[in-house]
Amino acid sequence: MRIAVCAPQVPFVRGGAELMADDLVAALRGRGHDVELVTIPFKWYPGTRVLDQAFLWRLVDLTESDGRPIDRVVATKFPAYAVRHPHKIAWVLHQFRQAYDYDRGGLGQFSESPEDRATRVAVERLDAVALGEARKVYATSRNVADRLRRFNAIDAEVLPHPPQALPYRTAESEGYVLSVNRLDRAKRIDLLIEAAKREPSLRVVITGEGPDRRRLESLAAELNGQVEFVGRVDDERLADLYARSLAVFYAPVDEDFGMVPYEAFLSGKPVVTTLDAGGPLEIVRDRETGVVVAPDAAEIARAAVYLGEHAAEARAWGGAGKAIAERVTWDACVDALLD
Amino acid sequence: MRVAYHSPMPPSRSGIADYSALLLPALRERIEVVVAQEGSRAPRADVALYHIGNDPDAHGWILDALNERRGVVVLHDYVLHHLIAGTTIGRRNGRAYLDAMERELGVAGRLLGLGVLDNLLPLLWETQPERFPLSGVVLDRATGLIVHSGYVAERARAAGYDGPLWRIPHPAWPMTALEAAPDVSGDPLVGCFGFLNMNKRIPQLLEAFASFRQSNPGARLLLVGSAGERFDVGRRLERLGLTEGVQRMDYVPEERMWSLMAACDVLVNLRYPTMGETSGSVIRALALGKPLVVSDVGWFSELPDDAVLKVPVDDYEVTTLEAALALAAEHGASLGGAAHAYVEREHALPKVADAYVRALELAAGGDAVDDAVLWRIAEAAAEVGLTDTSRLARAASDAGIIR
Repeated sequence: MRIAVCAPQVPFVRGGAELMADDLVAALRGRGHDVELVTIPFKWYPGTRVLDQAFLWRLVDLTESDGRPIDRVVATKFPAYAVRHPHKIAWVLHQFRQAYDYDRGGLGQFSESPEDRATRVAVERLDAVALGEARKVYATSRNVADRLRRFNAIDAEVLPHPPQALPYRTAESEGYVLSVNRLDRAKRIDLLIEAAKREPSLRVVITGEGPDRRRLESLAAELNGQVEFVGRVDDERLADLYARSLAVFYAPVDEDFGMVPYEAFLSGKPVVTTLDAGGPLEIVRDRETGVVVAPDAAEIARAAVYLGEHAAEARAWGGAGKAIAERVTWDACVDALLD
Repeated sequence: MRVAYHSPMPPSRSGIADYSALLLPALRERIEVVVAQEGSRAPRADVALYHIGNDPDAHGWILDALNERRGVVVLHDYVLHHLIAGTTIGRRNGRAYLDAMERELGVAGRLLGLGVLDNLLPLLWETQPERFPLSGVVLDRATGLIVHSGYVAERARAAGYDGPLWRIPHPAWPMTALEAAPDVSGDPLVGCFGFLNMNKRIPQLLEAFASFRQSNPGARLLLVGSAGERFDVGRRLERLGLTEGVQRMDYVPEERMWSLMAACDVLVNLRYPTMGETSGSVIRALALGKPLVVSDVGWFSELPDDAVLKVPVDDYEVTTLEAALALAAEHGASLGGAAHAYVEREHALPKVADAYVRALELAAGGDAVDDAVLWRIAEAAAEVGLTDTSRLARAASDAGIIR
């Protein structure tokens, strides 16, 4: 089968969505299909530009290539799913959340001007058309499916995907709490640093790069090495950091999906998250696979201390998480997508 | 975004005033709304919203405001002949009436209008308004149109309206614990609420009820609402020997109406001819989960078959109505359950308010968004020598990117 995987790409930015698209291409190729990743740069500002970008996808003709038909299109994100194809499958990682749950909040984009309000409605209308014409809509998490239901009255089947392929392993805890994330305000890594300020015994290792790095480093400046920023690391180093950690901290606001808990679990580590984290709560269950607390530094500090003092429980919860994560495989995803 | 809201408001005794009293607080939770006052200067706003109904006393000033500044029209009635006659002939402006008739029917319309003005023809808004709706003059001023039914949407399009149109259901009143009025009873108790006139098929209802009562002697009919000027309910009841079986009440306040409705076993709301209107009484009845009998016309026909019993307006209307009363009384629970579920699903106030906000946001800013996107598409196309961008515009419209 000839399959086009369609995913937008923000130039010079690489995150979970890009990894997922690459892995999907690899998984489909692994099953013997002829697969191509089709991508268009995405810029969503200012104002109505977001609609131009969606329109670019609409003009792309993927019905055939080089005189031979393309049998199927799998689109993963707004606005890639605006592409036209008679056999389009939408596997939604993200809608354009600025038009939905972020609207009129701190992470929103649209002001109260009539033009901004109408642009927001146009995004909603585009989603209705683009997802409405798909043969099948999957969502990567219950959280994403619920939003599709709530905002667009679209029924999506939940189909989580596995995290990136790392040389996962489990090792004895060296007592630090690991953060694996883009250094972005919405990821709330500052909560973990504040927790370290409150609890001198708490050691923190932060991986990743991003626009919030300078602010986070200045927050941690007075902590005398209690918090270590290691930047972007290669796969081997990342697997090693996971393996030797006590637990993994992951607490963005109402995240769509979040691969980090899966990666933590595959390393046999429990996850510390917050009640408002969204998607991660589908697999991080309090005192079963990790600790779920209010988004409050003191509570996060208490959770980390508890895990440090109860190593057997931490191991057991990490193990329970591993059993969940191992059930999510690319084979199952490919079966569903090509059903 | 700021909306200038034009509507009759309580204490005006109109269904549209009740409608606005229900909708406004929900809208205000979502956007800035300033209510226009009759006789005052129109408020400054990004978009104006006009609730238009057929009563010239309640809506004349709103039509005037619409003529001053175009905006989004909520068309509560499709037939507006009475409104137009009241705001033209009623203000000694026969020429404007003739223009409206001509807009609708061309030269023939103008001639008919002349016949009315010269007293050579009966007053069309009293005798056959449904044949001459005169809504065109309102549609011409609408930058967007909100309707409650497919029936009105279809007619508006057929009348040549080609602007944005949103079909938004009539909102339902949130249900609170209700006590059934203790002073009315019947086995079953059948209720009919609202202004009583020929359009509401009261003669047919009375005839059907009289027959129904012969096999159900405990049955009583509760008729609540003011009667039309030339409609003598009392005489009709006497003639049918129904003075015992029917209880009459004039206009009652909202709270009392709810408790009376709650006491009924079956509710009836008939209509013919229809002016394209919805009915607040029907929405109330459905929300209460009461079995309901309606005429099979206009918006009423669009109600779900499992929730209401629909009586065709034909030669067998009275017989069918009698059978429907019996069915409704017998299957009250299942009909009422379906009715309640339908209202929860389609007429929930937050859902209706969200739909209004979407429509108003598009009406206020949609043109600017479409222009901006189309401009950039055309500009990019022109730079590479493509001057016919209609195909591109069509593709953008098909995808919902522009309207």
